[in-house]
Amino acid sequence: MDDTGKLVLQIDRLKKSFGKYTVLTDVSYSLPKGEIAAIIGPNGAGKSTFFNLITGYHLVDGGTIRFMGREITNWPRHRIARKGISRAFQVSNIYPRLTTFENVRQAILTQQKRTLNIFTPAHRLARKNTLDLLELTGLLSHVDTVAGILSQGDKKKLELALALAGKPELLLLDEPTAGMSSEETHETMQLVKRLNREIGLSILFTEHDISVIFGYAQKLSVLYQGMVIAEGTPEEVRNNEEAQKCYLGEEV
Amino acid sequence: MKNKYLFPAALFLLAVVLPFIVPEFWVHVLTEILIMGLFAASFNMIFGYMGQLTFGHAAYYGVGAYTTGLLIVKANVPLLVCLPLSMLSAGLCAAVLGYFCVKLRGIYFAILTMAFGQLVYYIIFQWYTFTGGDNGLQGIVPPAFLGKAANPYYFFTLIVVTLGMIALWIISASPFGYTMRAIRDNAERTEFIGINIQRYMHLNFIIAAMFAGLAGALWGPFNRSVAPDLCNWHHSGMPVFMTVMGGPSNFLGPLVGSAIYTMLMAFVTSFTEYWPMVSGIVIIVVVLVMPGGLLGLLGEKLPFLRQNEGNAKETKG
Repeated sequence: MDDTGKLVLQIDRLKKSFGKYTVLTDVSYSLPKGEIAAIIGPNGAGKSTFFNLITGYHLVDGGTIRFMGREITNWPRHRIARKGISRAFQVSNIYPRLTTFENVRQAILTQQKRTLNIFTPAHRLARKNTLDLLELTGLLSHVDTVAGILSQGDKKKLELALALAGKPELLLLDEPTAGMSSEETHETMQLVKRLNREIGLSILFTEHDISVIFGYAQKLSVLYQGMVIAEGTPEEVRNNEEAQKCYLGEEV
Repeated sequence: MKNKYLFPAALFLLAVVLPFIVPEFWVHVLTEILIMGLFAASFNMIFGYMGQLTFGHAAYYGVGAYTTGLLIVKANVPLLVCLPLSMLSAGLCAAVLGYFCVKLRGIYFAILTMAFGQLVYYIIFQWYTFTGGDNGLQGIVPPAFLGKAANPYYFFTLIVVTLGMIALWIISASPFGYTMRAIRDNAERTEFIGINIQRYMHLNFIIAAMFAGLAGALWGPFNRSVAPDLCNWHHSGMPVFMTVMGGPSNFLGPLVGSAIYTMLMAFVTSFTEYWPMVSGIVIIVVVLVMPGGLLGLLGEKLPFLRQNEGNAKETKG
């Protein structure tokens, strides 16, 4: 039976090289709707490049990417975002000179397609939605703080808020808890889990924290030297010899 | 009245009262301050809000000036009709040239805007039959209802510039204006939240050019003539100086910078011909001592001048 309709993301034989250096070799991957999945692997395995290709940051050398059944290979970044794929970056990628509130409001106004409005003062628009999202991500106490001076943990929360403001179907999180305290890590991943459960948001994340990976992912894929060497439930991957040898080692 | 409106209201009141106090020469200087202030404010839509430096903005100022000049001299079109038509012609010119400029960033954007600006300059300079070439256009007289004295044209300019500044203020405070700030702060992130940044930059480029065209349209009847030099890259440098002096982070910075620059020029040139040297020294001092411009420096001391209400507290966590 064809289960393409149940897949939010379907990637077929993805290739990417930078000069002579091949980063991804024939990577095929699929993510069912409403699932939390993780891509793991050592530094340099190609995880961030994998995200970069899905979101249009880099051009694909070969293979296809389908989102909700529609091919999006090499689409412009803004069009992919509009289609429903949001992304939070490994190194926080925010608007440092705007306040936390203005950061989130900008993303919400974009999602609401109101950014071409030149007549209405921005401060009159999307106030409630912005405050709701700031509350959801635990940033309500930093509404008027200039984003550039937020702590690393708060910047990561803001990064997540910017990604969520787009009301995505698929959320890509590149090391979402890097730079966070253990308490913040727990809060953030609980939020991710809640969003997945309550609104059926599909989530794909990369992470190095083994407790986060095995605590929250329903599906794991191990990327090593540009290839998927193991895939399955956390338990299956934990027991996979190659995955243990290449990445998990004694950490499990 | 909210605190943030106090400073602009005070400036406006000062602008209304001053012509009744100062000699006629200084009323001419005040008129020039207003025109160049609008020109600099339009430049700052690209520099301060979009984060790109243009060295070709005078081209659109010049196109606006020549549109009004040609319409008045050759077709006797009323000034009030010339103003919107000048905005339109400058906007159309920017729509074509800006399409290519917004594909680039940083120094490449600056160089391409300058190259296109020089292209416009040479077309006007060479096209004797239409633009008068290097002779320019003379006999651009203001309408009869403004008379020949300095004050009426000054107040006409004050009204047009005030309306222009209000329009730019509304745009800068709108979602579109904040999208420009977002592109300035982090163009990459802006693409990833779903903005086609090239399209928005193009639109902003056109808007900025339209208001530069409006400023240019006011110049011809004020000076009774226009010349190709209005489009030259030297002229594009003036809003850069004015904005840096006044402060690019404050909406009124370019207007304040225009006041400092124009008054200083009027004052210094009455004593010496070495104005470029004096202006160079002033720019060096401003950049070294107050990199945020005069309003940036004052904003640190006087909170009501600040436009970003951000709370400068480091968060913990």
